[in-house]
Amino acid sequence: MKLYDYILSPSCYKVRLMAALTCVKLDIRPVDFHPGAEHRGPELMALNPAGSIPILEDADLILTESSAMLVYLAARAAPEWLGSGAAEETARVQQWLSFSNRLTASLGGARLHEMLLRPGDITALQAQGIAALRELEAGLVEQGLRGMRFLASDRPTVADIACFPYVALAPDGGVSLAPYPAIRLWSRALRSLENFIEMPGIHRLHELKPDPHIEPDGA
Amino acid sequence: MLPDTTGSWTPVALSADLPAGTVMPAWTPAGSNALWRSDSGRTAASADRCPHRGMRLSHGFVRGEALSCIYHGWSYARAGNCLRIPAHPGLAPPETIRVATQRVEESDGLIWVAVGEPAAAPPRLEGLVPLRSLTAHASVAALETAAGATAGPEGIVWKVQASQTIRLLLAAQEDDQTLIHVLLRDNSSPAQRIAASRAAETLRRAAEALQAKGIAP
Repeated sequence: MKLYDYILSPSCYKVRLMAALTCVKLDIRPVDFHPGAEHRGPELMALNPAGSIPILEDADLILTESSAMLVYLAARAAPEWLGSGAAEETARVQQWLSFSNRLTASLGGARLHEMLLRPGDITALQAQGIAALRELEAGLVEQGLRGMRFLASDRPTVADIACFPYVALAPDGGVSLAPYPAIRLWSRALRSLENFIEMPGIHRLHELKPDPHIEPDGA
Repeated sequence: MLPDTTGSWTPVALSADLPAGTVMPAWTPAGSNALWRSDSGRTAASADRCPHRGMRLSHGFVRGEALSCIYHGWSYARAGNCLRIPAHPGLAPPETIRVATQRVEESDGLIWVAVGEPAAAPPRLEGLVPLRSLTAHASVAALETAAGATAGPEGIVWKVQASQTIRLLLAAQEDDQTLIHVLLRDNSSPAQRIAASRAAETLRRAAEALQAKGIAP
């Protein structure tokens, strides 16, 4: 399974993270997204005429939407990440998978504007990002009142992985995460998962590992 | 809020939003704090600036009974003294290296940080349970106008529906923002709690609309 990947792309990170969490080995093909714009070159345009990354290639299957990649990885390797199949839970998974596109457009747009000088109305992008974060926060508060720690269930699903990266990187676009206690706890729960991996800007929880500098007994 | 002659208490967070072994940012009129809870459950408010390189300590992490800076790992006790400098493992950090701290009190599921030296304890909120905290881009006055009530020492009693009132504690923040803590009767049903959460969002929208139009004082 080959992933056309860019290390700083939150959408590519979703796929790397999902693969790590489900113990799927990816064949990573790095793409010179910036400054080379390789994703707009003939080789990648032949795979994905939309000119976007990530692209996931598995034999005859070519996927260009990250949510579909998450679902594919889960269905192949760890179907529990798709949810239980109950009507309400299935609907919530789909709700947040679709919602994740708004995070990409708003928080992701603000991040591209601030990091790669992509043209855009930064004030509007940030305002849309805040509106999306508030929706996510409210959703998580309500899930908490239902006794569930994650967006669709009491265990993480593809919906959480679809939403997590652009949220965690919101400060790159000048949007503070300080006002969202439920998002803070949710982010912490996701970063505590076994086999969690990092990307630049999203670090693991250092406190989960023992202090590396403890002096030996009697020292 | 709650001024007395020597200081006041600011409600900064719900206890449930600060589990053991975590840190979060919390602002009071006395400044920015890294609010944290040690592994044994004790809370502390440290100035949100590492004396080493100025990194926000609220970006750091809690291990055991210490708060560590994410940048170079300098760690601090609840009292503010520096416990360890990883780059100099043999060095006992001098007493002069410390972060300022504020008093913290926790009662009825809320965490309060002192501004100055308040003589009395924070107010009790018996019979109420905290629901959630949210931040409005609106002043306290705009929220009071939207709720049709004035905040007293124990917040606003806001009538959501004929049968339900909720309590709002308001804490002014920087940039004309307000931190809202929503509390409700401790016998409220799950459905009432979800309804109260949604009602708080509606109130925030109304207050922000007032603020944007410049209607609120």
